[in-house]
Amino acid sequence: MDKIGLGVFLAHVLIIVAGGLVTVFARSLVRALTGLIATLFGVAGLYFLMAAPFIGVMQVLIYVGAVSILIFFAIAFTKSSHLGEEARPRKQSQWFFLLSVPGLVIFSLGYLLIKFIPQGFLQPQETQVKDLGGFFLGPYMLPFELISLVLLVAMMGAVILGFEKKIKRED
Amino acid sequence: MNYLLYYHLVALFLMVVGLAGIIWRRTLIGLLICVELLLNGAGLAIMASAKLTPASDFLGQAGTLLVMGLAAAEATILLALILVVFKRFGKVEVDKINILRG
Repeated sequence: MDKIGLGVFLAHVLIIVAGGLVTVFARSLVRALTGLIATLFGVAGLYFLMAAPFIGVMQVLIYVGAVSILIFFAIAFTKSSHLGEEARPRKQSQWFFLLSVPGLVIFSLGYLLIKFIPQGFLQPQETQVKDLGGFFLGPYMLPFELISLVLLVAMMGAVILGFEKKIKRED
Repeated sequence: MNYLLYYHLVALFLMVVGLAGIIWRRTLIGLLICVELLLNGAGLAIMASAKLTPASDFLGQAGTLLVMGLAAAEATILLALILVVFKRFGKVEVDKINILRG
């Protein structure tokens, strides 16, 4: 049983790693978005593997269903093509930061992780969605309402920004 | 076999890849995609910390849901902002949008 779990975990990690690398280094933005979708599916699989099926379904619905469609619209509206800016060669400073900053983060945070992380459970307990709903409507009512308020304000702001008229540049 | 460590290493990978993308990408849309990667890593780390340790299970799920909601709101606002920038400047490259009084 443990081996099956490890195999499924490794398969999802493979999807995540491949998708993440495609997301960052693909020339075309549409390909990058496809890599992002693969990564999101892999993370949703990890949520299922952690015995949190509700969060996994929410991940697929919100990220894969909504956010990636939004990004597709952004790509389509701004007419980004695979011959555009993303395909030109990079500056030297970008190469430098690409090799230095993530490496620093990997070594510092990875060292802290390996040194100080406690032993985790092997089998997480599954919880009922009903109890999660009770949790949200009971002691954590305020964050729940606040996140809906944030979503409402974001939606209104997006609509108002979208109505802006074209402004003539005077130069 | 410490699965907690492995989940956190995957979350660390997502964060590092998101950072590398923010450095590497040139257009605002590329940056938006990479910020989504970063937020996903954050959600995965919160979830693993709550599910595989004696911490409260519900808190972790609630935190991950809040991260997802914030990511959705952020993507909406950023899409609107990118559209406004494209209308004003005609391009969405980070290096070339450098006029303050658009």
